[in-house]
Amino acid sequence: MIEQRAVTTPLDTQQPLLSVRDLRVAFPSEAGRVEAVRGVSFDLHRGKTLGIVGESGSGKSVTSMAVMGLLPDYAAITGEITLGGRNLLDLDDRQMSKVRGRQIGMIFQDPLSSLTPIFTIGDQIAEALQIHQDISAAAAAKRAVELLDLVGIPNPDRRAKGFPHEFSGGMRQRAVIAMSIANDPDLIIADEPTTALDVTVQAQILDVLKTAQRETGAAVIMITHDLGVVAGSADDVMVMYAGKPVEHAGVDELFARPRMPYTIGLMGAIPRLDDRARDALTPVPGTPPLLVDLPDACPFAARCPVVQDACRETEPPLLAVTGSDGDGHSAACRRAAEIEDGAIGGEPIYPVPALRENRVAAVPREDRPKVLELSGVTKTFPLTKGGLLKRKVGTVFAVNGIDLDIREGETLGLVGESGCGKTTTLLEIMGLKPPEQGSIAVCGQDTADLKRKQDISSVRRNMQMVFQDPMGALDPRMTVFDILAEPLRAVGERNSKVLAGKVAELMELVGLDPEHRDRFPAAFSGGQRQRIGIARALATRPQLLVLDEPVSALDVSVQAGVINLLNELKAELGLSYLFVAHDLSVVSHISDRVAVMYLGRIVEVGTTDAVFDNPRHPYTKALLSAIPLPDPVAERTRERVLLKGDLPNPTDDRPGCRFVTRCPLHLTLSEPQKERCRGVTPQLTEREERDHQDACHFADTPVSVDH
Amino acid sequence: MPGQPDLDSLRSPDLRAEYAYAHIMKDRLTVLRYIARKIVGWFLMIAIATNLTYFLANAFLKPASNYTALRPPRTPAQINRSLALYNLNPNKPITDRWWHWISQIVTHFDWGQSPTGGSVNDQVAYRIFVSGQLVLGSTILSIVIGVGLGVYTASRQYKASDRVLQGFSVLSFNTPSAVASLGVVFAAIALNQALGSTLLPVAGAQSPDVSGFWSVFGSRATHAILPTISLTFISYAGYHLLQRSLLLDHINSDYVRTARAKGLTRKQAIYRHGLRTSIIPVATQVAFAMPALFTGAVITETVFAWHGMGEYFTKTISTNDVHGVVAVAAFGALMTAIGAILADLAVVALDPRIRVS
Repeated sequence: MIEQRAVTTPLDTQQPLLSVRDLRVAFPSEAGRVEAVRGVSFDLHRGKTLGIVGESGSGKSVTSMAVMGLLPDYAAITGEITLGGRNLLDLDDRQMSKVRGRQIGMIFQDPLSSLTPIFTIGDQIAEALQIHQDISAAAAAKRAVELLDLVGIPNPDRRAKGFPHEFSGGMRQRAVIAMSIANDPDLIIADEPTTALDVTVQAQILDVLKTAQRETGAAVIMITHDLGVVAGSADDVMVMYAGKPVEHAGVDELFARPRMPYTIGLMGAIPRLDDRARDALTPVPGTPPLLVDLPDACPFAARCPVVQDACRETEPPLLAVTGSDGDGHSAACRRAAEIEDGAIGGEPIYPVPALRENRVAAVPREDRPKVLELSGVTKTFPLTKGGLLKRKVGTVFAVNGIDLDIREGETLGLVGESGCGKTTTLLEIMGLKPPEQGSIAVCGQDTADLKRKQDISSVRRNMQMVFQDPMGALDPRMTVFDILAEPLRAVGERNSKVLAGKVAELMELVGLDPEHRDRFPAAFSGGQRQRIGIARALATRPQLLVLDEPVSALDVSVQAGVINLLNELKAELGLSYLFVAHDLSVVSHISDRVAVMYLGRIVEVGTTDAVFDNPRHPYTKALLSAIPLPDPVAERTRERVLLKGDLPNPTDDRPGCRFVTRCPLHLTLSEPQKERCRGVTPQLTEREERDHQDACHFADTPVSVDH
Repeated sequence: MPGQPDLDSLRSPDLRAEYAYAHIMKDRLTVLRYIARKIVGWFLMIAIATNLTYFLANAFLKPASNYTALRPPRTPAQINRSLALYNLNPNKPITDRWWHWISQIVTHFDWGQSPTGGSVNDQVAYRIFVSGQLVLGSTILSIVIGVGLGVYTASRQYKASDRVLQGFSVLSFNTPSAVASLGVVFAAIALNQALGSTLLPVAGAQSPDVSGFWSVFGSRATHAILPTISLTFISYAGYHLLQRSLLLDHINSDYVRTARAKGLTRKQAIYRHGLRTSIIPVATQVAFAMPALFTGAVITETVFAWHGMGEYFTKTISTNDVHGVVAVAAFGALMTAIGAILADLAVVALDPRIRVS
């Protein structure tokens, strides 16, 4: 078999396509010289995929930009990047421009801003072709259409004449992929290609990327913070921390036998759909170090639970792990050989924090009071046309008759793609005004009855909000003390002694040191800022917290700590949460009940276990199957329900199921059944299980692509 | 409404694109209709502004003062009789004078006479030509130099060349027009004296003693050099600083990076992708600066003894020339309108997205 391989494989498979040796990148800054990348080495073979995983600031993007030659002039780059026998670092911008786009294609994170707004999509792809190939404009335009077709853009000849603002995020990312593979590159670098996209679109894009790789036979560097994405797409994985690779192994080996405490920490910190039995996540304490004047020590030492004195004496190099059966597994840890299955000598490196028992949960759900009740809430926006005299030409049904209830001490997760009406629902609830249609009741008080100012503020005390962006939500010119005292003062607390005591209490409650009360938000890390935001929301002792994507802006290792904190607070204070998120793994971990929204309507609602274990609506099934699992074996074997297209605009209120245009189940139905989907609006209906409703006429019909 | 797409069908992105595509096909017609509507609007604006100026000028300017200093002194009745010849008799009701004035313009495009009988039409026709000669050259030069320097310095942000050029531009931006003009004049005189001949004439729009098309053309060209230099010197810096800051907003944008990733060099990516998006506001600025340039070059015209619209603007006010003042105001309004329409056209030409929406 070895002989056969030597005959059939071209010579260059033994010689790596891309070889990076001791790459170092430093930037000057006001704080000193920032060493963003501190010695990265790897080989990448043709047709293979290398996943680079790390948190923000780990140097993964800087590494890829160095390969592309796109770093600014003031960056000091040393080392060697060999592609096809040439050291790319020796080339100037003009020579490098012959390599970029021709040999290396790149896909960027934010598809909304990575296309020039004033050129058509087709022209931008044609430009990529004409830079490197001597072809006519007509031939380039024709090829651009073919490329758009390849990446799955319907009606490519028409869409090629469209401008970026006419494309959705997923469509634009497809166009960027088309551009990156236009010249049949040897290497594709994808820098967080799906981070800005919805989970169903992410699944589509990862699929397109695989198609692109198959068509071009290119090697891929996949940069991401999402271990699930890596598990599904990479052959090799390199974990980066503080500008250095700290572990490098084949994808199966890495996920099965991680050797570096940081990798183990990352894996323990992510909530997983396939492992919801876990009680608490294991956060990695602390934050990554600043990359200025790093001492000669393991950069992870300050956060490592199994640190020894010797770790602080010298920085461990990335060495092959002895005793591992997989070849090419290396880790930068002195104790790598001792670590087995996330434990040293049988003791887990990250002990699972004990979960507090939720006292309220002992009372059956029906007997607990409702803290929030929505019935038939509708919110519409007029769609207008014309400049001076605006004519109403339609209505956007952002929220279309939804019913929800949250009882004391429970968490309701509200999930759905962007544009499905989650945020509008939140705003309707927080506005404390009677909705257009239906009613909202907070702690038994109908918002239609709130006439006087005192009534409104007393209800508002009971319901507080935590925002997505922890920096934007805190006034940078107020100290933590002022931020936390403000809501207390607003409800009439004047005594400074009492205020000081309450602020200290709040800070302790969310795991912050009360000594830090005079600091400004800028002095805290992202996770700590989100804790300040939570403490502020708790100041008025509310019964209900409305959390809008509270962890999506945080790094994985920090996110786990905030999720655990929310779970603890719920148990300790008997809080109820309305938790809005697009990340279903997070929702599955924190919620007692889940409501799935699609185009302004709730399509499925029930207990978390019921919805996640036994999803009934085809949309819920598709959403769940789109989530990448951080388990390479499971990723390879499972079957996906890929949704086609994007979320349509909710501009009509005709009867019928709104999911009809994308529904995989709908396609398998008989004609009279299809007629029913289109003509009769499905209502939320309870079937075999209690507290599990879905809005699908044919939820019991098995789908062939079901997993 | 026929042709209006059913909104429900717009739910799918494909159909939306189709709709947009159909729009692009219609865009030429749409642009024409759009421009026509703009022209009508601006025409109304000019008419209102001009008529308002007519009444204001009649209320504040006293054309009779042109006659009071004459020897032998005239009686008010004599003066009014003289003024009546030019439709300026203050004893005639203003509405009657206005009706005469406006009907002359509408029927003969005759803008009236100055209080001493000179034709406004003749003055303006000649002066527009002189001003145009002065302003167009310096405007084009200012744009080319300013935008060019903006692009050059933006792509070399914080390097020595950027700092030096920017410092120079800030200096020239703050130089008063008179200082710049006189400085240029002194330099030219020194040069002429050193050469011993008048290489660069420092006064007038042309030599009085030349004839024949080519000699007049050459004389006008050499006379225009110095005023053009001084006008360019004070006006290019605005474009430089504006273009630099606008381009800097775009140079580090994601799509310029994408363009480089496609295989363009940094310079090509900046020119092809960054410049075109960043030049749109500059084009608007240029278009709106045109009217100010035509009547605003007063000091330069004075220093170089050119008889352009700027000089006419001050002269008509100081001589209580009601009809002249109104004509200057009408001309200013017309230039503003042309500038605004040019700005719209420039934006439509540079930003194809406008045509779609």
